[in-house]
Amino acid sequence: MENLGALAILLALCLSAYAVVASVVGKLRNKPLLVLSGERAVYAIWLLLTTASGLLLYGLLSGDFRLAYVARHSNRAMPVLYKIAAWWGGMEGSLLLWGWILSTYSAVVVWTNRRKFRDMMPYTTAILMVVQCFFLLLISFPENPFEVLAVGKGITEVPDGNGLNPLLQYWTMAIHPPMLYLGYVGFVVPFAFAMGSLITRQPGDAWIHTTRRWTLFTWMCQSTGILLGAGWAYAVLGWGGYWGWDPVENASLLPWITATAFLHSVMMQEKKGMMKVWNMVLIAATFFLCIFGTFLTRSGIVGSVHAFAQSPIGKYFVAFLAVGIAATVYLILDRLDYLKSDAHLESVLSRESSFLFNNLILLASCFAVLWGTIFPVISEAVTGEKISVDAPFYNRVNVPIGLFLLLLTGVGPLIAWRRSSWESLKRAFRWPTIVGVAVMVVAAAMGALHFYALVSFGLCAFVMATIVMEFWKGARAIAAKSQQNLIAAMIELTHRNTRRYGGYVVHVAMVFLFLGFTGAAFNKDATHDVRVGDKFTIGRYDLKINDLLDGDNDNYSWRKAIVEISVGGSVIGTLEPEQRVYKASRQPTSEVAIRRRLNEDLYLNFAGVTNDGKNLAIIQSYVFPLVSWIWVGFYTMLIGTIICLIPAKVKMQHMKTETVGYVKKNAPVHP
Amino acid sequence: MPLYIRRLLLVLVAGLCLAQSSSDMLTPAIRRVGDRLACLCGSCKNTVATCSMLGCHYSSPARERIAKLQAEGKSDDEIVDDFIKREGKRALAVPPAEGFHLLSWVMPFVAIGLGLAAIWAFVKRNSKPAVAPAAVDAAVLNRYQAEIDKDLAKLE
Repeated sequence: MENLGALAILLALCLSAYAVVASVVGKLRNKPLLVLSGERAVYAIWLLLTTASGLLLYGLLSGDFRLAYVARHSNRAMPVLYKIAAWWGGMEGSLLLWGWILSTYSAVVVWTNRRKFRDMMPYTTAILMVVQCFFLLLISFPENPFEVLAVGKGITEVPDGNGLNPLLQYWTMAIHPPMLYLGYVGFVVPFAFAMGSLITRQPGDAWIHTTRRWTLFTWMCQSTGILLGAGWAYAVLGWGGYWGWDPVENASLLPWITATAFLHSVMMQEKKGMMKVWNMVLIAATFFLCIFGTFLTRSGIVGSVHAFAQSPIGKYFVAFLAVGIAATVYLILDRLDYLKSDAHLESVLSRESSFLFNNLILLASCFAVLWGTIFPVISEAVTGEKISVDAPFYNRVNVPIGLFLLLLTGVGPLIAWRRSSWESLKRAFRWPTIVGVAVMVVAAAMGALHFYALVSFGLCAFVMATIVMEFWKGARAIAAKSQQNLIAAMIELTHRNTRRYGGYVVHVAMVFLFLGFTGAAFNKDATHDVRVGDKFTIGRYDLKINDLLDGDNDNYSWRKAIVEISVGGSVIGTLEPEQRVYKASRQPTSEVAIRRRLNEDLYLNFAGVTNDGKNLAIIQSYVFPLVSWIWVGFYTMLIGTIICLIPAKVKMQHMKTETVGYVKKNAPVHP
Repeated sequence: MPLYIRRLLLVLVAGLCLAQSSSDMLTPAIRRVGDRLACLCGSCKNTVATCSMLGCHYSSPARERIAKLQAEGKSDDEIVDDFIKREGKRALAVPPAEGFHLLSWVMPFVAIGLGLAAIWAFVKRNSKPAVAPAAVDAAVLNRYQAEIDKDLAKLE
């Protein structure tokens, strides 16, 4: 089995190299059959990598402990779901997953475009296969998942494996990495089309129209991956944090930010023929930041709780990044003539300008996160002194940037394309501003006297008001004409322009996310050593320990507390925080108990027992106001993105600027 | 080995793994200083005040040391200096705003400044000058009017 798996990967490597050569040579020498054979190689690679992945999965499920990877990341007692999750629980398996997802995407790209873009497709295929070749090199040699345990020249096996890290044995962790990979790998596709377009000197926006849905889908997967990771950290790590500014978390955020900037600025190219160079830069930056993120997780260059074991593959990534970036910069500079704007900016007070500011702030935020992540390395190289860049740094730098971005989320949609007047701006912003200020006053009166929190509440209300107004105005016009009720009119409105109104729903999601983040300014926490019958208080909750239990099963032993919750003397429920010790790894984990509500979460962690001879249970209790809005924001974002992916009922025609008259000689000039 | 002995041993191991102390309780004074110091346990990016890992091998003793120095009457700055003497500048949760490390704070905002300058240059280069009202050919105008009417009719 191990030989077949390794052979499949090696064959896939050879075929990916062949696909690159066949596609480029076939195109240059005008040999369509050679190009076609390159495309067929893409399908064959998918078959081979599916076989290799299937074999690894079979090894994990059947407990083939001759395989070093299976022995390190699986054991007999693990539930089936986590045996499958062990595929991406280690370095070699996760690289195989990267390769398999890329081969799937490549096969879909080649199939769906088999009769389109015959000029561009050979180069697009070649670029996809260059990336494929790089990852297959890694899993063929330094990180082969089919390595067997050997004593001398004989294959051996262990009776049971180490098992997956217990912290990863949680349902969102089974989905979080594949979703992130679907995002990371997916950005290769628009990048490949962009480069294909550059190489073939395409003057139009074909690559953008073709990859819009790819980019949106990929962005959705990346967002889902990031937020599932946040949800996992919140529910598993036992301290209620959902974002720790860890280098590897930052690495997943960086391409997400540049992709968000790309999704906005690409509208300028589609509607106005502007920012062509910028869009190339953004999609290239997104792709290389994905590779950079993969590099950070695997090279050990920065210390991270998420990183895989240190490995020698960092230098391969550095070489790939260096060559890739140099080639991309050369291509963009060489083809600048094909990337000239079709239109001019007509006014600073225009939707176009708001996109420019939106991109600036997104990129500034991306830079701030990247800078904070790599500054310890730079500082040590320059001054020879180690320093820490921890959560307070990111919060201080990114909170004002984030709030400004939130403001732009509300301002942008209210400004007209081409040119707006001060009068129209005053009209558009009057009510949202009143609503925003009113919410700030109410929040301050309720005791929320925290500067950034107040500003955030005000801006959330401002943005929400602008979006509600947009839906209200459009739906009312449709309702008046078609005699539909307002809800039906709103659905009709959204269906007519799914991209615009789906985008607004995503903006609503951003408001919810910011609301959830803002709640952190009012968190409460306390730690108590307790025995059965003890009582303590946190926030408005009175807690009583009703029982302390313990037990075990094949996979782990456990202790739990039965905690009764009361508010104002009335019992409102019980929570059962638990701590487990996994038998294979002897590693303790927390199974926190959470009472989730939209206004606040009550969060209990059974942190252990005291070692002072009294054997008291240590219960950490937290109140997290508004945190549930982060998860509401996540689902809203999914809905919004799915709406954007649905084809609009009315095909929108965007007229490009056209000269329809001429200036009369001696006519008076108006400012 | 009989099952009950194995279970007994397991409970013993579990007890050893779980046995800890909640001595790392935070007073507001410890929290105030702890917020300025990085937790150097290597598995989190929290401060000494916000690290919530019970029995953390760095933040728990660090809190005890802060309490001890506070009991000796040391000011917040003196306590922070004490940590810097022991651990170097990495003891601080954020880079100090001095010397080379000032760059960490300045660069994000320099980037915004440069971006604004780039936008200003872009706007200046790409803006169209204000134009006089154009005399439009009636036929062209009629063509556009017809297109607008057609679009409006579609809406109905």
